[in-house]
Amino acid sequence: MCDVCGCQLHDHHHSDSKIVEVNQSLLEANQKQAASNKTHIEKMGAIAINLISSPGSGKTTLLERTIDELGDSVKIGVIEGDIETERDADRIRAKGVPAVQLTTGGACHLDAPMVHGGLHVLEHFGKGKGFDIIFIENVGNLVCPATFDLGEHHRAILLSVPEGSDKPVKYPTTFKGADLFMITKTDLLQHFDFDIEEAKSEALKIQPDLDILCFSSTTGEGFDQWITYLKNLLSA
Amino acid sequence: MHELSLAQNLLDQLLQLSKQHDAKIVTKATVIIGPFSGIVVESFAFGFNAIKQDHPPTATADLILETPAPEYICLDCNTINTGDAGTTNEHPKAVYETINDKLCSACGSSRLSPSGGTELILKQLEME
Repeated sequence: MCDVCGCQLHDHHHSDSKIVEVNQSLLEANQKQAASNKTHIEKMGAIAINLISSPGSGKTTLLERTIDELGDSVKIGVIEGDIETERDADRIRAKGVPAVQLTTGGACHLDAPMVHGGLHVLEHFGKGKGFDIIFIENVGNLVCPATFDLGEHHRAILLSVPEGSDKPVKYPTTFKGADLFMITKTDLLQHFDFDIEEAKSEALKIQPDLDILCFSSTTGEGFDQWITYLKNLLSA
Repeated sequence: MHELSLAQNLLDQLLQLSKQHDAKIVTKATVIIGPFSGIVVESFAFGFNAIKQDHPPTATADLILETPAPEYICLDCNTINTGDAGTTNEHPKAVYETINDKLCSACGSSRLSPSGGTELILKQLEME
């Protein structure tokens, strides 16, 4: 029997060993920063939308057309996340909209501290005119960004027709955390075996409260629903 | 791939807590990884065991991973149904897809949806 505690186990010792109950989330540092980002965005007078998708699903093209459609009626700011290059930010700036490029140098997702830095730079670029909507275009990746809250008010997942309608089943974690599911490049439906009903029903099984929009940024088909959706978010 | 940056968060926490408690080494850390967290348990363990060696206080720390069973809420009657638990250090496979084969234990509805399970928690620490 153990002399110290009287128990029947002999494979432990009481030297200087101590047990500490921690019960703390390992994402807490990110979550705290995300909460502070959210307050920061609201102080800027804006709401933020985190756009998550695979590379090439049409995030930047969506933003370009959205800027064109909204014109001067809504003040937009964009934070772009990529592994390398300023290319996406340059495309947004060409539309006359302030854009900050975050290059992760290899990391597969944006995290809240990176976005914190981005918000300060965006404020500077905005020259005090303020913002109504800040789009945060995450690193193209349908997996890792799902784990990291950035302080956004809404999280949108884009899935383009060429990627296939089985993606909600294959990447469920990403859909579970989303508010909006956007099926893009619907102008290509005739060329691909994409089952819109399958994509919708599988996504709704994972996240029953999901809003779903289908549209093409190229032809503009269905785009007015997206614009209405944004305006409703702004007036909410 | 984000498992490595999460393992780095764990390492930072362990180093900070061992300093705070005047401990020389961390012998054991218990971490809970939820079934819907999107974190691959094996990759997280691999990442942690690779980087722990860079720091004397964590170099020999044992990582114990708890993988709670997935829970599914019934969209018709709100009953929580518990799925199969994984084995130690591994989540059950296809925690989302298995929904398709399940019916609510209370009302028989097939409308089940994943509930909670996104946590990544440092539960307990043993130090000397």
